[in-house]
Amino acid sequence: MAMDGMMSTSSGLSYHNVGDFYPRKFGSKPDVVPSGVTERKVCPLDKPDMVSVDVINVNDADVPLHRKKHEHDTYVLGTIHPFRKTHRSIFGKLSQEFRLVTSDRRSWRILLFGALNLLCTGCLLMWCSSTNSMALTAYTYLTIFDLFGLITCLVSYWVTMKKASQVYSFGFERLEVLAVFASTVLVQLGALFILKESVERFMEQPEVHTGRLLVGTFVALFFNLLTLLSVRNKPFAYVSEAASSSWLQEHVADLSRSLCGIIPGLSSVLLPRMNPFVLINMAGALSLCITYMLIEINNYNAVDTASAVAIALMTFGTMYPMSVYSGKVLLQTTPSHIIGQLDKLLREVSTLDGVLEVRNEHFWTVGFGSLAGSAHVRIRRDANEQLVLAHVTNRLLPLVSTLTIQIFKDDWARPLLTGALSSSSAAASPLGPAEGYAALSSSSSLAPLLLASGGELDPLTSTPSKPTSPPPEFSFDTPGRNVQPVVLPAPGHHVHRPYGGLGLSYGAAPYRGMLSQGLARPGGGLGLGLQGVGAGFGLGVGGSGVPSSQSYRTAFGGPAAPLRFGSSNPLASQAQYRQYRP
Amino acid sequence: MEEKYSSNVLSGGKLGMVEVPDSRLTRYIVLLVVSKVLKALGIFESYDILKVVHVVQFIFILKLGSAVILLFFQKPFSSGKVISRRQWIKLLKHAVLSCIISLLGFFGLTLCGPLRTLLLFEHSDVVVIALLGVLFTNSGGGPSKTRGAAFFIIAVICLLLFDNDDLMAKMAEHPEGHHDSALTHFLYTAISFLGVADHKGGVVLLVVSLCLKVAFHTASRKLSVEIGGAKRLYALDNLVSAMVLLPWVIVLSATTESKVDSWSSLILPFGMIIFSVMILEFYVEAICSAKMEMPRCARYGAIALFLSSLLLANFWTHPLTDQLRSMSKPPQQDSTEHVLSGGVLVSAIFFIMSSSILSSPSKKGQKGTLVGYSPEGTPLYNFMGDALQHTSQSLPRFIKDSLKQILEEYDSRQIFYFLCLNLAFTFVELFYGVWTNSLGLISDGFHMLFDCSALVLGLFAALMTRWKATRIFSYGYGRVEILSGFINGLFLMVIAFFVFMESITRVLDPPNINTDMLTPVSVGGLLVNLVGICAFSHAHSHGSKSCSSHEHSHSHHGHSHSEHSHGGHGHSHGGHGHGGHGHGGHGHSHGSGSGGMNANMRGVFLHVLADTLGSVGVIISTILIRQFGWLIADPICSLFIAVLIFLSVIPLLKDACEVLLLRTPPEHEKDLNSALEKIEKIEGVLSYRDSHFWRHSANMIAGTIHLQVMSDVVEQRIIQQVTAILKDVGVNNLSVQVEKEAYFQHMSGLSTGFQEVLAMTQQMESMKYLNDGTCIM
Repeated sequence: MAMDGMMSTSSGLSYHNVGDFYPRKFGSKPDVVPSGVTERKVCPLDKPDMVSVDVINVNDADVPLHRKKHEHDTYVLGTIHPFRKTHRSIFGKLSQEFRLVTSDRRSWRILLFGALNLLCTGCLLMWCSSTNSMALTAYTYLTIFDLFGLITCLVSYWVTMKKASQVYSFGFERLEVLAVFASTVLVQLGALFILKESVERFMEQPEVHTGRLLVGTFVALFFNLLTLLSVRNKPFAYVSEAASSSWLQEHVADLSRSLCGIIPGLSSVLLPRMNPFVLINMAGALSLCITYMLIEINNYNAVDTASAVAIALMTFGTMYPMSVYSGKVLLQTTPSHIIGQLDKLLREVSTLDGVLEVRNEHFWTVGFGSLAGSAHVRIRRDANEQLVLAHVTNRLLPLVSTLTIQIFKDDWARPLLTGALSSSSAAASPLGPAEGYAALSSSSSLAPLLLASGGELDPLTSTPSKPTSPPPEFSFDTPGRNVQPVVLPAPGHHVHRPYGGLGLSYGAAPYRGMLSQGLARPGGGLGLGLQGVGAGFGLGVGGSGVPSSQSYRTAFGGPAAPLRFGSSNPLASQAQYRQYRP
Repeated sequence: MEEKYSSNVLSGGKLGMVEVPDSRLTRYIVLLVVSKVLKALGIFESYDILKVVHVVQFIFILKLGSAVILLFFQKPFSSGKVISRRQWIKLLKHAVLSCIISLLGFFGLTLCGPLRTLLLFEHSDVVVIALLGVLFTNSGGGPSKTRGAAFFIIAVICLLLFDNDDLMAKMAEHPEGHHDSALTHFLYTAISFLGVADHKGGVVLLVVSLCLKVAFHTASRKLSVEIGGAKRLYALDNLVSAMVLLPWVIVLSATTESKVDSWSSLILPFGMIIFSVMILEFYVEAICSAKMEMPRCARYGAIALFLSSLLLANFWTHPLTDQLRSMSKPPQQDSTEHVLSGGVLVSAIFFIMSSSILSSPSKKGQKGTLVGYSPEGTPLYNFMGDALQHTSQSLPRFIKDSLKQILEEYDSRQIFYFLCLNLAFTFVELFYGVWTNSLGLISDGFHMLFDCSALVLGLFAALMTRWKATRIFSYGYGRVEILSGFINGLFLMVIAFFVFMESITRVLDPPNINTDMLTPVSVGGLLVNLVGICAFSHAHSHGSKSCSSHEHSHSHHGHSHSEHSHGGHGHSHGGHGHGGHGHGGHGHSHGSGSGGMNANMRGVFLHVLADTLGSVGVIISTILIRQFGWLIADPICSLFIAVLIFLSVIPLLKDACEVLLLRTPPEHEKDLNSALEKIEKIEGVLSYRDSHFWRHSANMIAGTIHLQVMSDVVEQRIIQQVTAILKDVGVNNLSVQVEKEAYFQHMSGLSTGFQEVLAMTQQMESMKYLNDGTCIM
């Protein structure tokens, strides 16, 4: 047996070596070429080669004793393909990657455990065929699953060392997810196969030899627990914690809760959430023991099939939540546990000054944990795009690491006439850029505003919320009065707008407070930025801030005051208003 | 500590309900237990009597006797309201139903013996309703109820499978003509038609009649209110059912000769049965359910009943009891009684456990939401939602809706029709296999069913793809198709692996195969699969061909469009128009983007292809074996097929993996690069970063990009131009973030961390540099 172990470990390693070093002959060429197109021509070339390697590998395994193990090797090879094949386009670099992975001490340990696992699986498969027991076969699949887990672990090491490339612009973190998904699905398919075989066996129950049954059970249990407890499998640990609990876990939790009622001392052991893998291994071993007893005592061979069905069902129960979780990540869905937090942030964003609505929001997880997302933010036409963008990004960035915000304005082309006019005048004006910007911003902030208020009569323009609830501030305005100020693009004009009366009294108090804060603030704005540009923005936003808060309030009708910029962030508010100093 | 957890190991913790301590209810519990023991005794006795008395006569006597006693006690006619004519008719229906149920019950008793009947039939309504609730609704009430239901099912299965009752063998030999009446004959034939032994038929019969009984009890609740109390109804019901049975009994006793020697010796046992089974139990149940709560009553009753019946079963046939029974007829003919076996014992234990779990009050707290804490610090829950969120669609409506959805679209329709064909073939095969008792056919049928699961998956995915986007699936469900294609690919790999392993073992040790049955089946399978290939290859070739041609035309058109859109016109419909152009009318229904790939259909097609290969392989190997006697041909064929399946799956898996890993779509890569170059050339654009493009689903390519622009350009125009350019190359879900220098200033003002400020200033520096460079020009 020791010899056997030696052989199989060497073959288990040689698989990796074969798989990874084989294409090295081709390797040098694609190494040079970085682009995807030329590399991809390599893969049809070495794909059949790869497979023929598998076949040869199996066919010259003539020693019957090692047959099963080698077949298992091909199984592993076969299932590795989905993971490995994804970087087949960089297949030439695979040996390099492998060396990269093995440069880590931890991965040696994983390889060692993988070799042990292969040996154990080979033995178990042999015993399965010698005992003719379906239940033991079902249990052996759990061992194979452990092997998948180890491979996933290797993949996750590789992923951490790998940077994003041009074609895989998000990086390879998803490979981890894919590996978890594929291994859980493969085990479930294996369980499905067991179910099918068991149904066939129920009709004609063959005899089960119990000789190696118990030995096999305990060997498998020992190896599984050893692998589970001594290798820290990051992706699977994450998934098993993040996924909803399986029915097996739920039942055990329920039972142990009741048990703690009788023996309270056990509560520290039993009450925390069980590791699903340990649980299913224990439960499988238990059912195999029961099978052994019943077959030994009463010769009930049907129990074997029944316990195979039970193990298969437990496998389904354990793996299903995990594959659902990782599948949802693969489907680019918003993780449900994050929705509450996200909604809060989005609500905050939509109360920002100038923001009308947030739509087309897509948030999803790239790998396990890191969130990516994009959203379209529709803003008022007089709002400053860059300022809103900065604030929205600032809100969302702590949660969503890869963020893209598209700012969207309705009808931006229409006020362009006045805007272009004033901008051209600003460009031509001998004043500094500060005044030019101020003029531009004030005019562009005013003109759409007036258009918007006029747009209450004109259903073509402006926001959908406005016609439904006409703001009281505007109600006593006639559009004719609003048209007039357009021709006077004076910087300070909008403060004295006639219709601003109500809103001004509301807006003025915090405004002054801010102003005084801004005055009192020491230092010159972190020494960043051009003063002139900043001044322009400051004016424009300051001016537009008052009516926007009004319109916002009326649109939503809520008692809550609109969220001022950076009310949680004093520095931000100061930065915004600091330009009033001069 | 005791209060914190529940004291009941099996049923789990309880929340909310307060139970009266047992000490105050001891009287009632003792009464209940005594009545249950007596009932068990009565049932055992009645089993003995039923050996000589016909079932119908027996029930008639029971009903009549109890009616007389109840009339005496209850006085239903002299007290209470007058019963109207309509109520009499209802009463009549009620009585007929109750007769049928008790007939079934006692007939089951004759089949299975008293112990099994007690175990199966005497469950309280609470238990059965909880069981059905777990099995058929989602809101079962936590894992403990599920466990209880599982125990119940295991117990029934134990009775069915592991109960080696000696009498069964004997009963199975019963000649058909033995039965006394048309009714029993009918029941016997029905059971033998099911193909199970009489005892097992009895088990099934009892389970069915248990469900009937519970439904009957629930339905009769309204009538009992109408009539004026359950007791009055019971009395009247007994009377009416005795009258209903009277004509039958007269006919029966006129036509068949009685086996009873002396009716007088049976008076005492009958009296005892009537008293214990019909009268005492009814009254005690009524009292106990009034004094205790229903679940507890059911729990104690079930435990007492099952334990006493186990004891009785052990001692009933004992010689000692024979001596004790004074009225016993001449000694038992032979000892072919329904004895205690291991299976019965196990199932009795499971029944006791399941009834104690299922009858425990359900924890509604499972679904309650935490609303806060009381001043004492205990959590407060809100249980309102449970009743409100319970919206269930009726099953036929659901089936109708989903069928309509399936038939709406080409892909799912195709899969559905093929699935139906496949299933029909499978069931024909299965039935024929059962008919001819051929194991090979049956196992092949199961194999086909196994294969059908892939089709079901594909169908479901095709159906899901068209669901509307939700909050969680913000891009829509299009990606499900790709995931399902991936799973189908894995499925095929597993199949290939198993076939491979099987064939390796067979190469080394070729078994002797019986080829007689194989040929017609495999030819049939081949025909079915050929139909499938014809159906799917259209879709497949359509998909792949249009993919290649599409790709071609795409680049072509992309170029021409690039010249177009250079001027900055928004070609919002560019993609669509040129897609139709490229296709040249063929496959117009697929838009421009959807020509790419449909992993789901590919997966299904490959599956069907693999099946076809399997059938072809079987046919070839059969011919080879028949003609030349090469036994090794079969494993070699399957080896070959396994490799073929494996090879054919690889491209599918590769493509699906690429999509799932968010790779830039390879067929658009070149276009995208040129589009990005073009974007850089747009007036005012300084640079871009974080450009991500990926295929989300068959007809959606999503993308995000960040652009740095000069401060004097209008952002919206840039967005429009970029969107137009990228739409031309097929990106139809795009987010563009346009950043000016001011953005970085704001960001650096907003972000307080040093690192962010540093990064921002660096970015800004680079930008300023560019800005200066361009400004100088």
